[in-house]
Amino acid sequence: MTKDQTRGSKPVIMPHSYDGIQEYDQSLPNWWLFTLFGSIVFAFLYWLANFVTGTLPDDRVAINTEIDALEARQLAAIKDLDEPTLWKMSRNSKTVAEGQAVYNSLCFTCHGPTLAGIKGLGFRLNDDLWVHGNTPTAIFNNVSEGITFEGKPTGMAAQKVLGTGRIAAVTAFLLSKQKEGAMKVIPRKDEPSQLTP
Amino acid sequence: MKPTPIRESVTTIGHDGTRRFLQPALIFGSWWRARRAVAWLLIAFFAALPWIEIDGFPAVFLDVEHRHFHLLGTMMGLGDIWLLFFVITGWGFLIYATTALLGRIWCGWACPQTVYLEHVFRVVDRLFEGDHVSRAKLDDQPWSAPNKMLRRGARAFAYLVLCWAVAHIFLAYFISIPGLYPMITDAPLAHPAAFVAMAIATGLLFFNFWWFREQLCLIVCPYGRLQSALIDDDSVIVGYDEKRGEPHGKAAPGIPTGDCVDCRRCVQVCPTGIDIRHGLQMECIACTACVDACDDVMTKLKRPTGLVRYASLRELNGGKTRFLRPRTVLYAALLVIGLIVASIAVLRVQPAAFKLSRPPQTELYALSEASVANVFRAKIQNKDEIPRRFFISAESPATKVTVLNQSVGMVIAPLTEITLPLTLLVDRQDYRGEFNFMLRLRSEDGEISLLQKAHFIGPDPRTLKQ
Repeated sequence: MTKDQTRGSKPVIMPHSYDGIQEYDQSLPNWWLFTLFGSIVFAFLYWLANFVTGTLPDDRVAINTEIDALEARQLAAIKDLDEPTLWKMSRNSKTVAEGQAVYNSLCFTCHGPTLAGIKGLGFRLNDDLWVHGNTPTAIFNNVSEGITFEGKPTGMAAQKVLGTGRIAAVTAFLLSKQKEGAMKVIPRKDEPSQLTP
Repeated sequence: MKPTPIRESVTTIGHDGTRRFLQPALIFGSWWRARRAVAWLLIAFFAALPWIEIDGFPAVFLDVEHRHFHLLGTMMGLGDIWLLFFVITGWGFLIYATTALLGRIWCGWACPQTVYLEHVFRVVDRLFEGDHVSRAKLDDQPWSAPNKMLRRGARAFAYLVLCWAVAHIFLAYFISIPGLYPMITDAPLAHPAAFVAMAIATGLLFFNFWWFREQLCLIVCPYGRLQSALIDDDSVIVGYDEKRGEPHGKAAPGIPTGDCVDCRRCVQVCPTGIDIRHGLQMECIACTACVDACDDVMTKLKRPTGLVRYASLRELNGGKTRFLRPRTVLYAALLVIGLIVASIAVLRVQPAAFKLSRPPQTELYALSEASVANVFRAKIQNKDEIPRRFFISAESPATKVTVLNQSVGMVIAPLTEITLPLTLLVDRQDYRGEFNFMLRLRSEDGEISLLQKAHFIGPDPRTLKQ
């Protein structure tokens, strides 16, 4: 620290003058200069770490890792969902109630509030006639991945919206209206709710 | 030797840029007592708000995590955030209006920086390190001096505890007292984000009150710099009556002197290190310490008080302060207009919110033999304390739109939000191409009625002709 010689005396006026305006020769506060030079140093180090050496973790990598972990968890959950498990779930009143709540929050818009189907939108789901497969896992997959008909998606792929747990529950809800071994596959044109009255 | 304040430089910054610390004297005057009462009231108010419950929620609870903002019993969602416009402009306006009338009373009486520094942290200073003389002496002593380490350390510890407490109260505004309590009792690692936020807030407060102090007012805060644009000759400021006081100095035979005896008491008590006798300065936070100091001396000298006082520049020059002037009249008119508009806006806020979007991963429209279908996703929020039954209907004068599954409506619990898919059908016969229409959300009791614009997507109508 230099000895402050001019304490209490007027600061020196600098020789230049612009439009008659002159300025004093004053020092900026050291703490202020510290924030200025500190941010310059930080910007340089940040640029170095982020763009040159790549030391800092990349946000994209972090997000992808997280998504991968999520997908792995979902895949692990799906692996356990075989036919007997889904049938068992469909006889559990708690799971069925949960599935019904999911149905009433989303699926009913196209398949109707009573599962009767809506003409031109969704198939009837409360009878034993099935167009896209007559097994619990087929229903689960259709809800999860959607249905493609003549190259166009028609059924809604709900995996990203609902997630595995709620899709399993809604599958259990649909199965709760069915008897094991009584589900039949029919061609698309025979779907009762879509036939012209 | 203590630096003598001059107008051209900031007293607390040396010519080499170093920080100079002030140890202002305490003046126990009537203004100081009034300011202390206001400060304690403000601190009590700040500390009490998170504890006061209105309708089951804290009076002020900015629940950033759930994006709900509880204000005095009403809940606002993110959709109401535009009302912040009135808060921000209103705040700016009040600053402008009060500065025009009463100068920087905000700085001296209500700013948290002044309130906490003058009435909490300087109290701690006096408690651990004595009055301004012994504090200055302690400043100059080396660390090896007896008791310096102990007194500074004890003071720093007291500061830390206080900053920690203030940071907790502040955080309570965002996570509420019931949310805060487990964070205090659990291990720090159980809530790492909250712990880090708390540590940073405590550290910043500590730095501010221990080291930074008046630098915040002088260099960081823009208000003082705007002062010259915000005040005029009739604004009431803390000013020195030059006509009465000058020429200052000790009375001596043959030399005419004013009332100012140049005792420098006003300089000793100034928390920003200025000499008020130099006139209105950017550094002055209008704290009235110099008013109290000068009144004290004048009383002892049996002279009239008020050599330094609340007065306008016009009054100090021998005129009379005009409170009623075009500027203040205009401000009053604008205040009335602003209050009316803000009141209308707040009263029109309905205790529900209604937003529309398209569900992801779906077709834009679906075709059946009889109709064209669109699916929307409606987000409905019941912001009220009671459950309500809602219905959604389409308002479309040109084309008839049917909303499916809305005959019984839906009941939404208090303070909850539901997302609901909506299927809208238009008969093929009625369909004449894409069109705009409105969807109305209304409650069964008729209290709520909200409109949202919507666009019906469909194919070119010519492709539908058989």
